[in-house]
Amino acid sequence: MAVVSIPGGGEVDQLYADTRELRLQGFLLFLVSDVVLFSSFIFAYLYLRNSGQGWPPPGIARPPISLAALNSAILFGSGATMHYALENFKRGNFLRYSSLMLWTILLGILFLCGQGIEYTTLYFQDHVSWAGSGIFGASFFTLTGMHGFHVFCGICYLVVLLLQSVHGVYDKNKYFGLTAGTLYWHFVDVIWVVLFSIFYLI
Amino acid sequence: METNKPGRGFWVTTAILAVISIAGVLYFWLMPSVEPWLPPEGGHPGDQVDWLFRFMSSTAAVLYTFVVGYVIYFAIAYRLRRSDPPDALGVQVHDNAKLEIAWTVVPTLFVILLSILSIKIWYVLQIQPTNGLVVESIGRQWYFTFRYPNVNGEVTDAMHLPVNMPVTLNLTSNDVIHSFWVPDMRLKADMIPGMINTIRFTPTRVGRYQIICTEFCGTGHSTMDKQTMVVQSMPAYLAWYHDWQQRNAHVSNAIPTVSSGAISLAGGDAAAGRTLFSQKCSACHALGPFEQRIVGPGLRGVLHDESHPELVDGDEATPADVAKILQNGYTGSMGHMPNQAENGLSNNDIANLVAFLNTLK
Amino acid sequence: MSVIAEHGGIAEHIHPEPQGFVRKYVFSLDHKIIGIQYIITAFVFFVLAGCLAEIIRIQLMHANGGFVTANTYDEVYSIHGSAMVWLVIIPMLTGGFGNFVMPVQLGARDVAFPWLNMISFWLFPVAGLMLFSSFLMGAPVAGWTEYPPMSLQGGAGTSMWCAAIFLVGVSSTLTGINFLVTILKMRAPGMTFTRMPLFCWGQLATAPLLMIATTALAAALAALFMERQFGVPFYDPTKGGSPVLWQHMFWFYSHPAVYIMILPAFGIMSEVISVFSRKPVFGYRMIAFSSAAIALAGFMVWAHHMFTSGIAPYMQLPFMVLTFAIAVPTGIKIFSWLATMWGGKIHLTTSMLFALGFLVLFTFGGISGVFLAAIPFDLHVHGTYFIPAHLHFVLVGGSLMGIFSGMYYWFPKMTGRYLSEFWGRVHFALFVIGFLGTFLPMHWLGAEGMPRRVASYDPQFQWVNQLESIFSFIMTAAILIFFVNMLYCIRNGKKAGHNPWGARTLEWQIPSPPPYYNFKHIPSVFGLPYDFTEPLPYTHLEDELTDAPVTVGAQ
Ligand code: HEA
Ligand code: HEA
Ligand code: HEC
Ligand code: CUA
Ligand SMILES: [Cu+2]
Repeated sequence: MAVVSIPGGGEVDQLYADTRELRLQGFLLFLVSDVVLFSSFIFAYLYLRNSGQGWPPPGIARPPISLAALNSAILFGSGATMHYALENFKRGNFLRYSSLMLWTILLGILFLCGQGIEYTTLYFQDHVSWAGSGIFGASFFTLTGMHGFHVFCGICYLVVLLLQSVHGVYDKNKYFGLTAGTLYWHFVDVIWVVLFSIFYLI
Repeated sequence: METNKPGRGFWVTTAILAVISIAGVLYFWLMPSVEPWLPPEGGHPGDQVDWLFRFMSSTAAVLYTFVVGYVIYFAIAYRLRRSDPPDALGVQVHDNAKLEIAWTVVPTLFVILLSILSIKIWYVLQIQPTNGLVVESIGRQWYFTFRYPNVNGEVTDAMHLPVNMPVTLNLTSNDVIHSFWVPDMRLKADMIPGMINTIRFTPTRVGRYQIICTEFCGTGHSTMDKQTMVVQSMPAYLAWYHDWQQRNAHVSNAIPTVSSGAISLAGGDAAAGRTLFSQKCSACHALGPFEQRIVGPGLRGVLHDESHPELVDGDEATPADVAKILQNGYTGSMGHMPNQAENGLSNNDIANLVAFLNTLK
Repeated sequence: MSVIAEHGGIAEHIHPEPQGFVRKYVFSLDHKIIGIQYIITAFVFFVLAGCLAEIIRIQLMHANGGFVTANTYDEVYSIHGSAMVWLVIIPMLTGGFGNFVMPVQLGARDVAFPWLNMISFWLFPVAGLMLFSSFLMGAPVAGWTEYPPMSLQGGAGTSMWCAAIFLVGVSSTLTGINFLVTILKMRAPGMTFTRMPLFCWGQLATAPLLMIATTALAAALAALFMERQFGVPFYDPTKGGSPVLWQHMFWFYSHPAVYIMILPAFGIMSEVISVFSRKPVFGYRMIAFSSAAIALAGFMVWAHHMFTSGIAPYMQLPFMVLTFAIAVPTGIKIFSWLATMWGGKIHLTTSMLFALGFLVLFTFGGISGVFLAAIPFDLHVHGTYFIPAHLHFVLVGGSLMGIFSGMYYWFPKMTGRYLSEFWGRVHFALFVIGFLGTFLPMHWLGAEGMPRRVASYDPQFQWVNQLESIFSFIMTAAILIFFVNMLYCIRNGKKAGHNPWGARTLEWQIPSPPPYYNFKHIPSVFGLPYDFTEPLPYTHLEDELTDAPVTVGAQ
């Protein structure tokens, strides 16, 4: 244990920030800059979309909404399982926590598979590609790809968290990693809501 | 303890600075022209820009004289003197609400005034007459070309304009971004591929004015300042214009017909046309408004746009005339529109395309 | 002796002092060492970018150019601008001074995330080397702004440029997050926002800009990179993209970036002017508030760089008016510093001289900025030498003068020794003369008809350019003197003691150079650091300057 001599230290350590608080704050700020990253690309997409060629541009078929809607449901479902996983962990219900975590990971993987199916049909059937289909292909694949990458990172992080919790890294009073993981997963969900509406709904 | 009341030195300094700044104001306002600071002005609304420059310079002269004057005065008057103990302290004042409000409110009022004046002049720029001569200029690496109504081909040496005639200048580019600047006219706008920017002005002084590119456009950017805007009296301009029109009469903007017979437009399939369009046409045409250029103009409403009742070849916009362009092609200010053979279109294809174009409203 | 609970933030930051050269000076986690690393690296890049500037000036001695080819000239000013902005001013003011000074001024033992801090730092020299290495593969030519479609053409160097700027961008973003958390969470007890030194306020206003604006730039760069390398269309008009999109995204970053480059320098001004006038800084709250106002408004004016790009006319007006409006908070600062000097006992040290120079030169640059913001006038001078004139007045006369002022001020804290005051004055005098001679005539050149970014020009302007070049050599000599002064004084300068200027912020209450832990005892704060007649507003400082050991470690 680290020790420092400080006269009248009692009042001092009370006022001094807790490292977990620091990390939480840092993590939130990281999410803020991530939001800015997505917003910039979304701005680019809307800007190009409104630059008057009509949307979608001629010869391009929009990806069907049905698959995407199913996929969204899967992702929101995983948001719910994640939420309850954390709740159960807080209550000390480790088994339920682990199975809910597993479900979250599984649903995340399902989501990625859904996206894979969508990408392959778009590419092979409708000949929509990243570089070769004008600004539609560019913005669609860049944004959804970026989101998919975030989901992928999230899955990896959840796996790590699950392994860590199995090894007893976290306990009822100390679960910063899990909070961060949950926040991140919800963040990815929210981004998806935006992407879904701008690509499939409007 | 000393107080922070302004003493005699301060008032004397202030008086001196006031005199200097009044001299500055008088200089910028009474100077017969702003020529030492800006090139001689050759048109309207350039004169308005000069007026704004004078206003800003004279007020800036006042502001700057006081800031610099006080910096120097304070640095000298309140320096630590040899007679002072080395640890002498200044007057310990923290703030003064009145003073702070003053130096927030006064600049705010000034900013409001400046905004009003700038917006007024900006508005003058927007309402320049649109009824005069329409000239088009295209930026290329690394020269400008000019197109005039009802003449063939492009002028590449200089831009000729009659004096005192309002001009609408449409700017675009063929490759990268250029910027069209005539310092004497205080005019500038970027030439952006795929976009048309417009400036409107009236040259008021006969003469030759340098045209300069002010956006970096490649190795030749430095030398893209060799062309001029030649402002002439109306008779001289007309002489040049007719001469040029005649000399270029043989240059045709249209490509001879290669097609076989008339095309029946009946039964064109718009859906098939749409697919065809994305394969054969979308490389050069957007479905946006006319200004939205890729190579050729945007085609939204080719057949329905009130503001563009005529096609680029001067014919009325009817399905038959559009079909004629698709059939024969057309070379005009924007470049070369391929004809039926070059585009590999059957007569039926053309019918479908026209049907599709007819759906664009 | 009391024990800090293991969850305490202090415990986190009390690792035993690292031993060995590599741990101590190369991959250091200590914010002070990292700060100095930033400063040294940035100065190295400054010399390189400065040499490029001199190539520019030599080329322009003749109307026909001829020193280098037009293409090389384009590469030179593009890298000059990019390097000065991203590798010199931004890292120096945030990573450099921010790291060295801010945590100590807050009464903290380090920044919030020392590891992240180290990573931020090391990204920076790597990015710098990448940027300069682009010369080997056809450097970018389209200026530091790299407008497409120009930037879509050309060699691999432009992609390298993208990658390099992306990396410094990541470094900036991480620094922004780190600083923001540090300021929000790690202030010493009693160090409320209204008691924070104004330099910290400058950093507090800058950090969100670093975090948010830089990320937007990252997106723009990523898109440019993808378009160049994989042909993914974003900006190319022949594929449906829009070159104007880049301009929006670039300036959405780069306008806030100019405030990243000036707000910390404003912070330095507040410290220096108050200390050397022996007076509390005048209007503390208004200065602090105006920093925040400038940072916020800075996000809403980007299109003033695009008045000629053909955005809808009525869309331009709010940008013009808001740009004008930024003059108000900036003016509040300038006037408050003037009032701080009024009635003071002004010590005309070199540091103070540079601060006075800042007031005079930056105000000029700011006013020319207001000229530019007026659309009708901007339509005339956009893209001409009037723009380099404005940008060097604010960046060299503002940010760089601020850096010089800060160096003369904090050098004794960094090394325990003074910089030579005599040579400092020579530096100041030559620099100001050289500066005015180089950059003042550029206003005239621009207004009269000389475009920027040209390797050869109209011969009628040759004499002015020759004059400028000669003065730029004087400026170079001044900077050379400054570097020699620093190198000499690191070892041989006069010993300074812990508080040579009689300043009252926390960094001056501990030894010079500061010990690894900064403070043996975290002080508590109960007042502003600018009341020269009052006792120091800190508790627990009794032992800081004694040799009494600090007990640290396992027990
Ligand atoms: C903070 C930023 C910064 C700084 C400090 C400077 C410093 C200088 N700049 Fe720069 N400049 C920019 C930012 C900056 N510049 C930007 C953003 C652009 C726009 C680029 C673009 O168009 O895209 C620009 C463009 C620019 C141009 C316009 C080019 C053009 O449009 O064609 C010119 C021309 O004179 C110029 C000159 C100089 C000079 C002479 C200095 C001098 O102050 C430099 C003095 C410093 C040194 C010389 C180094 C230290 C000296 C030594 C260690 C001695 C040894 C060196 C030698 C013997 C050479 N700069
Ligand atoms: C440190 C960097 C810095 C700073 C602080 C500023 C500050 C300002 N800048 Fe500048 N600017 C640049 C760096 C900076 N700029 C660069 C690098 C470019 C060129 C980029 C490129 O194209 O390469 C540029 C370009 C640029 C343009 C685009 C020109 C063009 O390309 O056509 C404009 C236009 O509005 C502008 C305006 C302003 C304004 C209004 C301020 C204001 O913030 C200034 C406010 C300060 C004052 C006004 C002075 C003090 C105030 C008073 C004494 C109070 C009273 C005053 C009044 C009421 C007027 N700047
Ligand atoms: C190689 C480029 C190119 C291709 C391919 C091309 N066009 Fe064009 N098009 C042009 C250009 C250039 C013009 C304008 C000519 C001018 O005004 O100088 C034009 C003009 C037109 C016009 C007249 C527009 C108006 O407002 O008057 C129509 C209609 C048109 N094109 C339709 C088509 C169709 C349909 C196709 C596909 C079969 C097509 N174009 C393919 C380049 C092209
Ligand atoms: Cu064309 Cu520069
Ligand atoms: Cu700006």
